Amino acid sequence: MNNTAIIFAKRNLKLKSVNAKKFALWLFIVSICMLFAGLTSAYIVKKSDGRWLEFEMPDMFLYSTLVLILSSITMHWTYSKAKDNSLKAVKIGITGTAIIALAFFYMQYLAWIELVAEDVFFVGNPSGSFVYVFSGLHLAHLIGGLVFLLVIFLDTINYKVHSKNMLTIEMCTTYWHFLGVLWIYLYLFLVMNN
Amino acid sequence: MSITDIQITEKLTHGDDHHDDHQEQSFIFKYIFSTDHKTIAKQFLITGIFWAILGGGLSVLFRLQLGFPDMDMGFLQPFLGDWISNSGKLDPEFYLAMITMHGTIMVFFVLTAGLSGTFSNYLIPLQLGARDMASGFMNLLSYWFFFLSSIIMFISMFLSTGPASGGWTIYPPLSALPQAMSGSGMGMTLWLVSMVFFIASTLLGGINYITTVINLRTEGMTFRRMPLTIWAFFITAVLGLLSFPVLVACVLLLVFDRSFGTSFYLSEIFIGGEALPNLGGSPILFQHLFWFLGHPEVYIVILPALGITSEVISTNSRKPIFGYTAMIGSILAIAFLSFIVWAHHMFITGMNPFLGSIFMFLTLIIAIPSAVKAFNYITTLWKGNLVFTPAMLFSIGLVSFFISGGLTGLFLGNAAIDINLHDTYFVVAHFHLVMGSAAFFGLLAGVYHWFPKMFGRMMDEKLGYIHFWLTFVGVYLVFFPLHYIGIAGFPRRYYSFTNFDAFSSFVDLNSFVTVAAFITFGAQFIFLFNFFYNIFKGKKAPINPWNSNTLEWTTPRVPEHGNWPGEIPKVYRWPYDYSKPGAKDDFIPQTIPYHKTEESNTDFENEEGKKERFDN
Amino acid sequence: MLNVIIIIAAILILVILFAIFRVSSLVDVIKGDSSNKIPSSNGLQANLLLLFLIIGLIGGFYYSFGGLEEDFVLPVASKHGVITDNLFWWTMAITGIVFIVTQIFLFGFSWKYQHRENQVAYFYPHNNKLEMVWTIIPAIVLAALVFTGWKAWIDITRESPEGSEVIEIMGYQYAWSVRYPGADNVLGNYDYLKIDATNQMGIDFSDRASFDDFIPREIHVPKGKPVRFNIRARDVIHSVYQPHFRLQMNAVPGMPTQFWFEPTKTTEEMRVETGNPDFQYELVCNKICGQGHFAMRYIIVVDELEDYNEWFKSQEPWLKQNADYLTEVPEKLREVASITVGIENEVWSNVQKGLTNSSSK
Repeated sequence: MNNTAIIFAKRNLKLKSVNAKKFALWLFIVSICMLFAGLTSAYIVKKSDGRWLEFEMPDMFLYSTLVLILSSITMHWTYSKAKDNSLKAVKIGITGTAIIALAFFYMQYLAWIELVAEDVFFVGNPSGSFVYVFSGLHLAHLIGGLVFLLVIFLDTINYKVHSKNMLTIEMCTTYWHFLGVLWIYLYLFLVMNN
Repeated sequence: MSITDIQITEKLTHGDDHHDDHQEQSFIFKYIFSTDHKTIAKQFLITGIFWAILGGGLSVLFRLQLGFPDMDMGFLQPFLGDWISNSGKLDPEFYLAMITMHGTIMVFFVLTAGLSGTFSNYLIPLQLGARDMASGFMNLLSYWFFFLSSIIMFISMFLSTGPASGGWTIYPPLSALPQAMSGSGMGMTLWLVSMVFFIASTLLGGINYITTVINLRTEGMTFRRMPLTIWAFFITAVLGLLSFPVLVACVLLLVFDRSFGTSFYLSEIFIGGEALPNLGGSPILFQHLFWFLGHPEVYIVILPALGITSEVISTNSRKPIFGYTAMIGSILAIAFLSFIVWAHHMFITGMNPFLGSIFMFLTLIIAIPSAVKAFNYITTLWKGNLVFTPAMLFSIGLVSFFISGGLTGLFLGNAAIDINLHDTYFVVAHFHLVMGSAAFFGLLAGVYHWFPKMFGRMMDEKLGYIHFWLTFVGVYLVFFPLHYIGIAGFPRRYYSFTNFDAFSSFVDLNSFVTVAAFITFGAQFIFLFNFFYNIFKGKKAPINPWNSNTLEWTTPRVPEHGNWPGEIPKVYRWPYDYSKPGAKDDFIPQTIPYHKTEESNTDFENEEGKKERFDN
Repeated sequence: MLNVIIIIAAILILVILFAIFRVSSLVDVIKGDSSNKIPSSNGLQANLLLLFLIIGLIGGFYYSFGGLEEDFVLPVASKHGVITDNLFWWTMAITGIVFIVTQIFLFGFSWKYQHRENQVAYFYPHNNKLEMVWTIIPAIVLAALVFTGWKAWIDITRESPEGSEVIEIMGYQYAWSVRYPGADNVLGNYDYLKIDATNQMGIDFSDRASFDDFIPREIHVPKGKPVRFNIRARDVIHSVYQPHFRLQMNAVPGMPTQFWFEPTKTTEEMRVETGNPDFQYELVCNKICGQGHFAMRYIIVVDELEDYNEWFKSQEPWLKQNADYLTEVPEKLREVASITVGIENEVWSNVQKGLTNSSSK
C-alpha cells in the first residue's frame, strides 16, 4: 500500500465521521431549539410579569405525548428494518409512523377543543395563547417531518433506501426523534409552569 | 466532503486537458440559478450594492429635511408624489417611513446580506480549499430567499399607505396597530413577510457556512491555520444561527397580535377613540426578544468586517497579524458576550433597575475584547512596511471608526449616563460609527481587495483613493458633529426641531452635516463607476496582486466552477508568514511546505518539515 | 429651459471627467511598470493620513472647547443630574485620552512605517505580556467606570423618598396629560376603559381619592423637593424626556413606570443663568410614536416651594370642572364627592335633572 492509498483511507474515515448533510441537519435542529427556547423564555418572562391566567392543562396532551412516543418507536423500528434491507417492512413502518402522526394531529386538535371548553382561547390572556402557539408551531414542524417521511417512502419505492444508503432515513429518524423530544420538553414545560 | 464535491472531481478528471468542458451550462444556470459559490457571492454583492444606494439615498433625503427644514422640496414631487405636500413639505409620516427603511435596509440587506452573504460565500471555500459550499443548492436557495425578501420590501415602499414606519426596531404597540400610524398597516405586514424570508435566507446561508468550515477544509487546514476572515465568518454564522430563530419567535408573536388579536405585546390600549380588548400583554417582552437578536445582529454586522480588515491589514503591512490567538479569542469572547448584553438597549424602558445593573456590568465587559482587537490592529501596523492600497486605507479607516464609535459605547453602556443620552443623536453617532460606517468600510475594503479575484481585473487605484478620502472625511464630518447635538439632548427620529426652544440651536451644524452627507453619498458614485466599469474594462489582474499568502490566490486568474483546475492544494502553515526573517520573499504562501523553507524555519517548524517529508 | 441646461451641463461634466479618467489611465499604461505592486502614490497617502490626524485633532479640539456658536452642554437642573454629568465628564476624560492616543498611534504608525524600498517589516506575531497588559488595564478602568456608574444608577432608581410630590404623566398621540393628587395627596385609580373624549386620562371615580385630583395645563414642580413622576401611556410607547433634569423614562401602555428627581433651579433662575428671558423647561417625547412624535411639547415650571404650594391650592379639581362625571361616582359617595370637590348644590341638581331626563327618554 503506497502513501496515497493511506491518505485516501484516512479521507474515507473522515467522510464517515462527519457527513455534511447530517451536520447541516443538526444545525437546523439547533436553530429550531433556539426558536422554542426564545418562546419558552418569553413565557417565563411574561408569567413573572403578572396578570397571568391559570388553568388546567388538558389531559389529552398527556395521551398525545404517549402517542408521539409510540411513533418514535415505530420510526426506529423502520430504521432498523432498513438496515436489514427488508424494504417491505420499511414501507409498512413509514406508513404506520405517518398514521400515528396523523392521530397525534387529531389528538392535539382535541386538546385544543378541551381548552376552548375551559374558556381558554387563542385570543385572550397570553397564558392560553402560548399553549396554542407552542403546540401549533410544533405541529407545523411535524408537517415538515411528514413531508420527509413521504420523501423516504418514495425513495424506498425506488429502492434508494437500503443498508448501503442509510443517509436519508437516518436523517429522517433523527429529525423525528427530535420532534418527539421537543414535544416532551414543551409538554413538561407547560405542566411544570402551570 | 459532500457528494457534489466528488461529482465535481469526477468531472474534472474526465475533462482531461480542457477542464472548461463541464461548464457548458446555459446562461440561466450559470449566472442566475447558479449553485456556484462565487456567482452567488457576486449576486449578493450586486443586490447589496443596489440596496446600499437606495438606503443611502433615503438618508440623504431625510438629511435634507433635517439640515434645511424650510426648503421647498417640490422638486421631489415627481419621485415621491403625495408624500410631498403642495407647499413643498415632506410628509412627517413619510419621514418616519424613510428612517425605518434606511435602518432596515442598511442593517439587514446591506450589512448582513451584502457583507456576510458576499464574503462568506466567496471566501470560505476559496480560503479553506474547498470546491464549493457544502450544499450548493441550499446556497442557491439562500440567495433567492434573500432576493424574494428584497422584492417584497421594495414593493412595500410603493404602497399608498407607505412602508413600515415605526423604526427598524418595530416596537409594538406602534407597529402592531394600524390606527397608530398608516405605515403599520400593509407596510408593516410586508415588512414582516419580507423578514421571514430574510431570516430563512440567513439561516440557510449560516448552516451552509458552518458545515463548510467544519467539514470541507483542505488537508492541513487546521483551525489554527485558518485565516481570521474565516474565523470571523464562522463565528458570525454561529451567531446568526442562534439569534435569528429568536427573531422568528419575536416576529411570530407580533404577527399573531396584529392579525389574530392575541395579546402578547398589547395591554390596556385606548387608541383612535376606542379601547382595545387586549389585556395582559407586555411591550417590554417584545423588546427583550427583539434585542436578543438585535444585539448579536450588531456583531453579525461588524465581525465579518473585522475579519476582512485583519486579512487586509496584515497583507498590506507585510507583517503577521499581531496576536492571532488573541484575535480568535476576542472574536469568541465577543460572540459569547453578545448574547448576554441585550438589555442595555432597555435601561430606561421601565425594566427592573436591578436587571439594568446586571446588564451594565456585562455590557462593559464586552469592551475588553473589542479593545484588544483595536490594539492588535495598531500593533500590526507598528514596524510594518505599509502598502496603502485602497483596501488598506479603508481598513485603517475602519479601525479609526471602530475606536471612535466604540469609545462612545462606554457612555451608553453605563446606565446612569444613558438616562440622558438614550435615544438622542449621541446614540445615532455612536452606532453609525462603530457599526454602520465601520462595517461599511469593511465591505468596501473587501471589495477593493478581492475584486481582482472576483472579476479577474483590477480596479482603478486613483479613483479608489478619491473615493476613500471623500468617504472617510465625509463620514467623520457627518457623524462627529452629531455627538455634540446628542449631548445637547436632541432626540433622534425627529422630523423637525422647530417645536422646541431647547432644540432651536445648532441649525448651522445640522445644515453642515447634511452637506457632508451629500458629499459622502456622491463619492459612492465614483466607486460605482470604478466597480462596474472595471468589471469589463479593467486591467487584467495578476494571479496574486497583493503578494498574499492565502489559498484563494493560488487559483487561476478567473477560477472556474470547482475553483482549482487540478488537485486542491494542501496547506502547511498559517496564513500570516509575512516578512519572515531569513525568507527571500516577504511572503510565504500557505501552500509552501516547511521543508522547502529551511532558511526561515524555527526549530519547531524544521521538525514539522521532517514529518512532511516522511508523509510524502 | 433652465432644467435642460442643467442636465446638459451635468452630462458634459460627466463626459469630461470620464475623458480625464481615460487619459490618465492610458498614461499609466504607457508609463506603468506593472510588475511594481507598490502604488505610485503610496507616500502621498501616508502623508494625507498624517495630515488628516493633525487637522482632525485640531478641529476636534476647536469645536469641543468653544469653537461652536452654541454651547452643547445644557445647564443641569436636578440633583442626580449633577452626579450623572460628573460621570459623563469622567468617562469623557478617560475615553478622550484613549481616543487621542490610539488615533495618534494608528495614523502616526501609518505614516512612519509607510513602504520604503529595502525596508523589511518586523516579524512580530505576538507578545503575551503586551496582550495581557492591554487586556487587564482596560478591565481595571472599566471596572472603575462600571462601579461608579452602578452606584449612581441604584441611587437614581431607588424608591422615591417619603413625602415626594407625586405627579402622574400620561403620554398619548401626540400630547401629554398630567394629573396631580389634589388636597388628599393621593392619586385616584384609573382605568383605560373609562377613557372618553372628556375624561382623557380615564380617571376612575369609584375611587374616593380621585375626587380632588386635578389636571393642569402645565406641570409645576417645587424646587428642592423630591418629585416623583408616575408615568404611563395610553396608546403606544412614548418616553418622558427632559434634558435639563437629565431625566428620561419610557411611558409604556399597560405597564406603569416611574422616575423621581429633585429640581435644583427654578424657571426664573434658569432664565437668569441662560440669559434667555423666555426660557422654559420642556418635556420631550423621546420614543418614536407616530407622525406627531416631534411635536409633543409640554411645559414644566419649577417654582419656589411656597409659590408651588400656592399654585397647588389654587387648582380646581377636575371633577368640579366636569360635574357631569359625578354620575360615575357610586351613589352613596356622590354627596361626599360634591362636598370635597366643592360643587354647588345647584350645579349638582342640574346634573341630576339632566340624568333623569336622559333616562326617561
